[in-house]
Amino acid sequence: MAVVLQQAINGVVLGGLYVLVALGLTLIYGVLVQINFAHADIVTLGAFSAYFFMQSLGGGYIEAIAVAFVVGGMLGWAMNAAIFAPLRAGGNELLPLIATIGVSITMENAMLAWFGPIPYAFDSPYSNDVIRLGAAYITVQNALIVAVSLLTIGLVYVFIKFTFLGKALRAVSQDRETAGLMGINPDQLVMLTFVIASALAGMAGAMLGPVLVLTPFAGTSVIVKAFAIVIIGGFGNFGGTILAGLLVGLIESYTTQYLGPGMIDIVVFVLMLLMLAVRPTGLIAEKRDENV
Amino acid sequence: MSSTKYPQTIPSRVHSALTLPRYMAWTGAVLTIAVLPLVFTDAYWRTNLIVCTLNIALAIGLDFVLGYAGQLNLGQSAFYGLGAYASTLLITKLGIPFWVALIGAIASSCLVGTVLALFAMRLRGHYLAIASLGFAVITYQILLNWISLTQGPLGIYAIPPPSALALPGLPAIEFHDLGNLFYLVACFALLSYFLLDQLIRSPIGETLIAIREDEISAASLGVNCGVWKVFAFAVSSGIAGAAGCFYASVVGTLVPDAFFMTESFTILAMVVVGGTGTLVGPVCGAILLTVLPEFLRGIGDLRLLVYGVALTLVVLFMPGGIVHAARLAFWRLQRMAVLGAVR
Repeated sequence: MAVVLQQAINGVVLGGLYVLVALGLTLIYGVLVQINFAHADIVTLGAFSAYFFMQSLGGGYIEAIAVAFVVGGMLGWAMNAAIFAPLRAGGNELLPLIATIGVSITMENAMLAWFGPIPYAFDSPYSNDVIRLGAAYITVQNALIVAVSLLTIGLVYVFIKFTFLGKALRAVSQDRETAGLMGINPDQLVMLTFVIASALAGMAGAMLGPVLVLTPFAGTSVIVKAFAIVIIGGFGNFGGTILAGLLVGLIESYTTQYLGPGMIDIVVFVLMLLMLAVRPTGLIAEKRDENV
Repeated sequence: MSSTKYPQTIPSRVHSALTLPRYMAWTGAVLTIAVLPLVFTDAYWRTNLIVCTLNIALAIGLDFVLGYAGQLNLGQSAFYGLGAYASTLLITKLGIPFWVALIGAIASSCLVGTVLALFAMRLRGHYLAIASLGFAVITYQILLNWISLTQGPLGIYAIPPPSALALPGLPAIEFHDLGNLFYLVACFALLSYFLLDQLIRSPIGETLIAIREDEISAASLGVNCGVWKVFAFAVSSGIAGAAGCFYASVVGTLVPDAFFMTESFTILAMVVVGGTGTLVGPVCGAILLTVLPEFLRGIGDLRLLVYGVALTLVVLFMPGGIVHAARLAFWRLQRMAVLGAVR
């Protein structure tokens, strides 16, 4: 019983981080109908910027998360300005996707040349303090991850649901042209979406750093799961993504416990393919059936 | 949503610029293949030649699905790996001769390709890309974790080269020599090219292009889009499976890492850099992206960096690929020359 509870806690910690990464993907998909493969490398660069902020500049961990948030946002801005904005004019569906694969390969290997393939030991100062919860334990680091994830997800939800900009963003994702006619500048909102999504990814990277093995390929293993989450939850669907993210986090921790870590990706992706076969609109269905 | 067609429509005048008559192109290709092992005699370059030829086969196979049927398949690495492991296991565990194992590799990749395509029949665009990527991840993890069968990350070693080919009336051809092995792989690549070329120039090719340009219009004209997509997937994965079988016997060792999803991306880069929707394009792309990094070995292992930069720049600045860019440049020169002569 203690094991089940312990793995549930671990699953929620992982799930919270996956939700942060997957939310960015789903936000971008919502307004642009585009997949961003380079999202993975923003996660990695977020982790590295937090690491070097702590190691070289002697900053604290909380500040490092903020630094990764800012770095991620700036990367998102650059990526949209350099890749997506020029390609959007072409009106082709697959070209931007292929471009992001190119950007992702480039960034990953530039980081490999720069940082080397040897894993970095990203130690958080909070990893060694433990809180006791009944029969199970949670490190302060993991409690921090859950708190920050919950807070961020809540803030993003409030922003999208209740602020004027969030309403404009939803308008653009429903119908870009009509939103344009209503006096909303879709290009600016697309840029805003990119910055928010990438900032979330950078922040998730800073929190994943101590959990994962920090190499230039760290983001790739996260992003393939984030894709699965986005499909299981339904592309462009906020609530579905959160639900699916927590589900995948729990699946990962229980699979590690009972089937071995090698089975994680197999279970997650078989579930994804089953979802695509049975219910391609995701857990919480929405009227968006262009691709299925 | 905007249309899903992949390459921009190319004016036929541009398309026919720089195109050799068929018999000349084929003769040139055969002559080049015959001469290459005579020029490159050391084992290093001969191995590179073989790898390059396998990449050509993989690239034209992917282009059949991406450039003609318009479906982005990111699972090509899985079919490549399936072919390699299927044939190797048949040879080493069951003692089946190479040529039968080759057929087994093609059949198993074809079969799995068909199953994925049946899955993907209802999906398009991004959903298909992610479904096929998920399939590649599953296959890689199975190769890595089914240790009793594939020996997992330790890999399979000492895979024998193809057994000697004894055609009636000719002396037996041995494949211990890299030169002969290159001829064998080149024959396979030529055969694949010939097969795809014939398919593309037949009504089947027209059908696939119709699906690429507009699926709904094609369906309204009586085209059964699902069946033809499955067909394109099956052909493409069969070629990848055969390439995997040759890869295993050329390299002699198999590890799952050779078939990670990065391999799908490198094949995609070859197709896109060369030019989708043409068969010559992926051939040029595969040659360029296999040979170019060899010259850059001196500044560290930047092979994949070259792929990433090339892919990004080509998509941004010449979306038709280098073949289209060359044709466009040639056509413009021709036009300028004609205009100059008129003046």
